[in-house]
Amino acid sequence: MTHFSLVIGNIWAKKARSTGIALAVALAVMTVVTLTVVSNGLENAAAAVLTIGKADFTVAQKGVSDILYSSLDNGQVAQIQSTPGVKSAVGVLLETERINAANPLFIEIGIQPSDLESFGVTILDGTAYGPDAPNEVMLGWRAAQDLGLHVGDQFKANGTSNTVVGIYSTGISYGDLGAMFPLPALQAYNRVPGSVTLVFVKVVPGLSVAKVQATFEAAHPELTTIRTASQFGRADRNLVFLKAAVTGSTVLAILIGAVIVGNTMLLSLFERTREFGLLRAIGWARSRVVALVVSESLILALIGSAIGVGLSVAVAAGLESLPQLNGVLHSSFTAEAFWRGLVVGLGMAILGSLYPAIRAANLTPVKALSNE
Amino acid sequence: MSEHDVDTRPMIETHDVKKIYADGKVAALDGVDLSVSAGEFVAITGPSGCGKSTLLSLLAALDGPTSGTIRVGSYELQQLKNADRFRRQEVGLVFQLHNLLPRLSALGNVEIAMMGSDRPRAERARRAQSLLRDVGLTDLSDRRPTQLSGGERQRVAVARALANDPSVLYADEPTGSLDSKSVSTVLGLFERLRTDHGVTIVLVTHDVAVAASADRTVHMLDGRIVEP
Repeated sequence: MTHFSLVIGNIWAKKARSTGIALAVALAVMTVVTLTVVSNGLENAAAAVLTIGKADFTVAQKGVSDILYSSLDNGQVAQIQSTPGVKSAVGVLLETERINAANPLFIEIGIQPSDLESFGVTILDGTAYGPDAPNEVMLGWRAAQDLGLHVGDQFKANGTSNTVVGIYSTGISYGDLGAMFPLPALQAYNRVPGSVTLVFVKVVPGLSVAKVQATFEAAHPELTTIRTASQFGRADRNLVFLKAAVTGSTVLAILIGAVIVGNTMLLSLFERTREFGLLRAIGWARSRVVALVVSESLILALIGSAIGVGLSVAVAAGLESLPQLNGVLHSSFTAEAFWRGLVVGLGMAILGSLYPAIRAANLTPVKALSNE
Repeated sequence: MSEHDVDTRPMIETHDVKKIYADGKVAALDGVDLSVSAGEFVAITGPSGCGKSTLLSLLAALDGPTSGTIRVGSYELQQLKNADRFRRQEVGLVFQLHNLLPRLSALGNVEIAMMGSDRPRAERARRAQSLLRDVGLTDLSDRRPTQLSGGERQRVAVARALANDPSVLYADEPTGSLDSKSVSTVLGLFERLRTDHGVTIVLVTHDVAVAASADRTVHMLDGRIVEP
């Protein structure tokens, strides 16, 4: 008999209690993992905007609640272009529109045809639109595939019918799922003349991107630069709040779960008072009794965590299939989400079982053995 | 005492041991002086509530005295820093209600006493089997307590008490719930322990016949040792 086999035997002997603890852990882990993968998915979707232009860094208005609310004018774009170390600066207007039920947030990119090459756009079929061409559009190849449209077809967007003049590829999935319009046309459709959402910057080859970025930020305190997904919160406060809410929920889940686990373990302690008294009487050290109780809790936490992760996959899939969230929510199961789930499960187990374990270890053998 | 000197003192020695409960209102032990030689088999008798079990729990370091001194072997119990280790290494305990863990087999109930000792796992299992053979339960080692008779359970409890080669065995009413045949078996085991292994045995009992099997009987009344 080993410590492990004793622990497993104890868990198996009290199936109802063990199931209760494992379920409490599973529900907490499911909640935390689901929140994490959903927020990761939202962050990835938002940050994907930045990847389209294959820029060294992106410039946005500072402190907006949503990055798509960022607004920069032509003068600012020109200032960015003239910043030392900047090779190219492409101003782009980004909008979203509901095309159909499957595309509730279809991405629309307003960009001058002269900037397409430096933006990393390759025309796969047809041609680029003219700079001021009315009612012309290019579709990303994935969007064209999804919508079943080809060059020459009509694509209804922004309340007008537009002729598909080309099919493009950016090499970035997110960009290839949208459409590109001449910048003035998209500005007009959305009543934001002379305004762009983001400026995609490429640095002169050989120069340090970080240095150019830092110099730029010092010269333009009203603007912010983003180079990585982790810097995304600089220009999108919603994501910062969402991340904070997820962290808060994680802490709450651990605390609430620990109370449930602790309560169940305490009930178990009362049931097993004679057993712990006997173990102490025959010479078990307090530390060994603590290890026994905590080990039982940890094993149940691991089982509960595995169930919780499984449930979170199902719940995330269920959320994605809801009509209101279809096409908006793309869950992102990352290692961080699983780690977070594991931390929640194990945290609950340790916090919840420590007090009962210490109480069990400190039972007076004589009193415990006389317990009825 | 130098390391070459032979310790000729009694195995167990108590001096003026008192145990007071309930904020000084109840004296369970009221100045007990007891001496037990190494290898001796002593029975403690007396009416219920006279302090027999309390004395046994103090001798086993399951509880501490209010005052007085207790020595078991080379251990002064009032100065004991690690009572768990003392119980594990020096003491074997047998209870009236055997106190076996219901979800473990007979073998597991014996082996569990050795968890925390220095014995490797394989040796623990071998020794548990050997002890069960000694108490005549070889064929029942995989049975759970509920599948054993009262006498068989008590024999498992004796095997468990011997698991760590104790120098003293304390038994609290070990035959209290047994039929006469099982009583004889358990007493026979005790006798063998004493003769074959030199274990010092202190047994608490109500039963005069059981007490008669001991080398000496100590009678208690109102927390004191008295003349029978």
